[in-house]
Amino acid sequence: MVNYSDDPKWADITPIPQDDGGPHPLAAIAYSDEYSEAMGYLRAVMAKEEHSERVLDLTEHIIEMNPAHYTVWLYRAKTLKELNFDLKTEIEWLNPAALKHLKNYQIWHHRQTIISQLNDPAGETDFIDTMLGPDSKNYHVWSYRQWLVKQFGLWKGEEGQKELDWVDGMIGDDVRNNSAWNHRWFVVFGCGEENIRDEAIVNREMGYAKAAIHKAPQNQSPWNYLHGIIRGSKTALSSLKDFALQFASLENPDDVHSSHALDLLAMIYAQDEDTKEKARQAFDLLANKYDPVRKPYWNYRKETLVN
Amino acid sequence: MSTLGLEEMKLNIPKHIKYWRRSLKTFLPHHYTGNDSNRMTLAFFVLSALDLLGDLDDALTPEERQGHIEWVYRCQLPEGGFRAFPGADFGSLRNESNKVWDPASVPATFFALLVLSLLKDDLQRVKRREILEWLRSMQRPDGSFGETVGEGGRVEGGSDTRFGYMSAGIRWVLRGHVEGPVDGIEDIDVDKFIACVRGSETYDGGISDAEFHEAHAGFTCCAINALHLLDRLPLDPRTSQKDEGRLRGVSNLPLTLHWLTSRQTLTLTEDDFFDTYGDETDSTATCHDSHSFIKLRSYPSARGHNSFIERPIPDFNLKYVGFNGRCNKIADTCYAYWVCSPLKLLNHLELIDLEPIRRWLLEKMQHMVGGFGKHAGDPPDIYHSYLGLAVLAMFEEPGLKGFDAALCMSNDAKRHIEELEWRSAIWGV
Repeated sequence: MVNYSDDPKWADITPIPQDDGGPHPLAAIAYSDEYSEAMGYLRAVMAKEEHSERVLDLTEHIIEMNPAHYTVWLYRAKTLKELNFDLKTEIEWLNPAALKHLKNYQIWHHRQTIISQLNDPAGETDFIDTMLGPDSKNYHVWSYRQWLVKQFGLWKGEEGQKELDWVDGMIGDDVRNNSAWNHRWFVVFGCGEENIRDEAIVNREMGYAKAAIHKAPQNQSPWNYLHGIIRGSKTALSSLKDFALQFASLENPDDVHSSHALDLLAMIYAQDEDTKEKARQAFDLLANKYDPVRKPYWNYRKETLVN
Repeated sequence: MSTLGLEEMKLNIPKHIKYWRRSLKTFLPHHYTGNDSNRMTLAFFVLSALDLLGDLDDALTPEERQGHIEWVYRCQLPEGGFRAFPGADFGSLRNESNKVWDPASVPATFFALLVLSLLKDDLQRVKRREILEWLRSMQRPDGSFGETVGEGGRVEGGSDTRFGYMSAGIRWVLRGHVEGPVDGIEDIDVDKFIACVRGSETYDGGISDAEFHEAHAGFTCCAINALHLLDRLPLDPRTSQKDEGRLRGVSNLPLTLHWLTSRQTLTLTEDDFFDTYGDETDSTATCHDSHSFIKLRSYPSARGHNSFIERPIPDFNLKYVGFNGRCNKIADTCYAYWVCSPLKLLNHLELIDLEPIRRWLLEKMQHMVGGFGKHAGDPPDIYHSYLGLAVLAMFEEPGLKGFDAALCMSNDAKRHIEELEWRSAIWGV
């Protein structure tokens, strides 16, 4: 345990003890002595606005115990700036800290601040791979990846192809990783309006989603991706009819391989007055046999067909 | 008693009261240290849970109640707004220069207002004008809200809908639904915020933390709660609301309903969960939702076959249904709130079969010591215990108070705010 009161390095600081706000505090926490003491010194250095090497040690110590303390991160960033501290060293310290606190928000904000100042994404994609190891759907990590791509323009030209190859690898590892599908959408369609209007790209992406559906027809991620492209590119939904029929057909109601195919068929049938009855049949199959978890929803969809 | 003679699981109200009273009366264990900076939020959960359970009045002596009110006001800053925890307070050493390191926080201010309401304070000591001025400074040019204002007036913290929701909540408490200036204080830019929410809608109908990020139930709920508090949800065609041409969100309601109802899942534990690696096709074990009857389309690879041959067959009798927060993720107690609240506010909770959800919460997630865990078998924690209880209140569980989804507290507590005299005076009632 770090002990500040016995450390000559800290002898000039009078800690500010916590005033818990009277005899009836709410959500009072049984702090360890270690945390209480460190926080007393943090309040004292913040109050005198000291930015020094020892403050970096102190903020590191607090962050270890309470990484969600929002001002301690901002204070650390300011201290780094005042000291003109080597930011590569800061990143080296941040890496294991991020692995330890997988669900923390502040750590990613801090990383963005540092990497923006460094103005160099070198090593960041490797670090992201390390972070996705224990949790390939970590929301913060995917959000950070998008920030990195935007900040450094990694979706254009050769870099863009590399990003696409990388996310293809992630989907290859786990076709049900919805974070990876979403990232693909961002890489392909997030950089401007032109790609969704480009027939070759639209066809390539629809083919990609269809191949993934063939692999695992009940996986909703590529179905959602396909619907997104259809809407965005204003392609007729009915153009997917033959594709959907490969996984579900009302002629063979016992041989359905995907509830999402049935849903798509219902949408297509609903567009035409002559086939509305078929849409009803599809919704009945969904409600009663293939997706009873969502029975009230499918019944609602059936009822709203009337209009 | 069910027909099988087995006692049906009920909400164990005495155990929950015990859990929450312990959280109120004794120190939270040291592992809450990582939530030290969220103490105002924890305070809200503790008091509001006891309120929903109908125990808050009995749990507090008048002296304790007043003492808690004083504690909340001690967190109010001279310049307006509340700090999130006493640990940020420099005491007498706080000055014009260093106060930037002890800033007002949007979540703390929102929850402080709700905590004061739960304690039946009249909010007269709240620096309302200052807060409304400060709230405007929390909004960025893109319409989003942050968590605090830092050095040089920079808005710090994420730009996601969590802070937009809580800012909308602060605005609702302090000035209701009135748009435009109140008492000479300009409004936040509501249209810009709506545009920001619409920008974070995803291709599959959910809402994410920023443009092009993945749809997530937490951010979807915060966005829809905010739109409700700002009176900017889509008009319900089943009612005769008049459209005044104001910008509204969400932009594609049917798609959002599809996304929200898709959050129901039978993947309730790790045993039900299966990610595909390689080239196997769907099977009884890989299908997440109710597809025990789906046949293998082709012969799976040896690797695919081996990867699911030993897996238990999931329970497909729909006895229990849970909620996940994103596509292809496992169920978690808190998502029951994050999904059901937007459905409720969109007037579409009827799209969910409530009974299997209720059974899942009561039989799988409720803990024997009271409270709820994150996953089945997990020990309870304050956050999941509160949201589990909140959902049951939303479902009108006997023994719990009526519930307001957008503020995530009882109708009684909401009414207390609505009946405050100074507040009614804003629009001259």
